[in-house]
Amino acid sequence: MIKPAVAVRGLTKVFPIPFRRTRVVAVRGLNLEVAPGQVYGLLGPNGSGKSTTLKIILGLVSPSSGSTEIFGRDSREVGSREAVGFLPENPYFYKYLTGAETLRFYGKLCGLSGVRLKSRTGELLELVGLQNARDRRLGGYSKGMLQRIGLAQALIQEPKLVVLDEPTAGVDPAGSRDIRDLILDLKRRGITVLLSSHLLAQVQEICDRVGILANGVLVREGRVEDLLAIENQTELILQNATPEVLNDIAALLKKSSARLIEQRQPQTTLERLFLEATKAPAER
Amino acid sequence: MSKSGHSRFSLTRIAALTGNTFTELVRLKVFYFLLIFALLLIGSSIFMAQLSFQQEFQVLKDVSLGAMSIFTSLLAIVATAQLIPHDVEERTIYTILAKPVPRYEYLAGKLGGVLLLLALSVVAMTALFLIALFVRQEMLVGVTLRQTSGLRPEQVQEAVRTLKASAFNVNLFPGIVVIYLKAALLASLTLFVSTFATSNIFTICVMVFIYFIGHLQAMAREYWLQQNSAGWIAKTFLALVALVFPDLQLFNLVDDIVAGTAIPGPLFAQTAVLGCVYISVYFFFAWVVFHGKEL
Ligand SMILES: Nc1ncnc2c1ncn2[C@@H]1O[C@H](COP(=O)(O)OP(=O)(O)OP(=O)(O)O)[C@@H](O)[C@H]1O
Ligand SMILES: [Mg+2]
Repeated sequence: MIKPAVAVRGLTKVFPIPFRRTRVVAVRGLNLEVAPGQVYGLLGPNGSGKSTTLKIILGLVSPSSGSTEIFGRDSREVGSREAVGFLPENPYFYKYLTGAETLRFYGKLCGLSGVRLKSRTGELLELVGLQNARDRRLGGYSKGMLQRIGLAQALIQEPKLVVLDEPTAGVDPAGSRDIRDLILDLKRRGITVLLSSHLLAQVQEICDRVGILANGVLVREGRVEDLLAIENQTELILQNATPEVLNDIAALLKKSSARLIEQRQPQTTLERLFLEATKAPAER
Repeated sequence: MSKSGHSRFSLTRIAALTGNTFTELVRLKVFYFLLIFALLLIGSSIFMAQLSFQQEFQVLKDVSLGAMSIFTSLLAIVATAQLIPHDVEERTIYTILAKPVPRYEYLAGKLGGVLLLLALSVVAMTALFLIALFVRQEMLVGVTLRQTSGLRPEQVQEAVRTLKASAFNVNLFPGIVVIYLKAALLASLTLFVSTFATSNIFTICVMVFIYFIGHLQAMAREYWLQQNSAGWIAKTFLALVALVFPDLQLFNLVDDIVAGTAIPGPLFAQTAVLGCVYISVYFFFAWVVFHGKEL
């Protein structure tokens, strides 16, 4: 049997609130499995426990009960994080380091050195489009640039699992598309991705499987197509259909038990429109 | 059953963390401002003449070593206090501990960076101090040669030798090492306090308090032991106090150095071992608090 990339079993996390008698249950009895090579999306409203779950998987926060594993190794083992890259939400790095220095530092923590580290640093800066900012200190980076350097840092040792907490928060639509493409590229290379996001359209596009959390409870889970399919409906999209054809179809429908619910012109998405309009002239 | 060979302890990782911490401190410029202070003090003592040369060297050593001791201690406390809280607040710690970095390595890297900073500061201050001492000595040698120009060569040589002997003395070095050890001990203790402190201000206040108690407790203990017969309860209590408040007076060898008395080898060794024990014990405490801490 193949070991799941991530396994969460009966996970509960309770945060006591000091000096008050209350406590916050951030995650309640969560069970999850992410198969190797999958892109898994964790969805849910603010405060539903997404970040807490991810932090527990990475051993940054300890569970109140239950356990989490990465490729079969308990998250409490430091070694379980060997082949893992993590991008926290709203990441901040050392302001006094430049982009290249930052990647070098994280590379060394993962045991890289010498030529390999140097070439990897260059590659990743290029990949996230920061090669022009490589010698600028992070104190002067914009939010989106920090997000990109964070992504590069997460990929430094070519991990087998990448955990991304809201990877596209604060990134412009073009950058957000770049990150989407990057995740799809990771997937093509067989790397497992576990991400949380509020951008449902994007999640729908890139994730194989999603889980929806509400108040720390997993309320829906499954393959994206299965979750979204409306079983008793079918969509037809026609090109160059003349009014006669449409009339014929309507006549056909009248004879059957099927009912036409809606007939409309498909629209482009706002995202696509935005991307078209803001494309750099050179690219157009 | 770990298939991949993740090492539980890696000097490369610690070196990376140490280097990073050192860079952080240097780029935060903690270092420069304290060095300038030390410079000022050492500089001012050069112009404090009008004394017999023995007295003058004594004052120079007293002021310089005193300043060195206070500045390295302060630097140790101020630099260490903000390291962990800063990483936690900015959440950079998530990105570090999400890599295969054990928490003790993280702590060791932080302490290592401070110790490196302190070492370089002490070396720099020592160099300045020795230069000041040497410059003053050469000036006084010039004066002596002029004053003794009528005397026989042996007498002149004798006068210069006494002068040089009261200027430089190898005993300075163990004294300076002890100053460094005291600062290192304070850094380790500050690291421990900062693992549970709620703010930097809290850490610094606690440490300043400990610093004073640490210097005063030797007196208090003597007084107390005179008043009370020392039963085992008293001894246990005093041992506990000595653990929480390190007896910093033990690391104060400046008076001996200034007086020119040699620091006995055993005393030096004992002090050095004591310093290392304190550093390790506080580091261990820091790890005990930090290894299970929610971030
Ligand atoms: N360190 C903490 N101490 C106390 N409560 C916490 C702590 N961390 C998280 N919580 C609580 O746990 C719950 C879940 O928080 P979490 O950050 O996991 O939400 P999230 O799903 O990531 O939300 P968002 O979409 O806003 O990022 C929240 O109610 C939050 O207040
Ligand atoms: Mg979150």
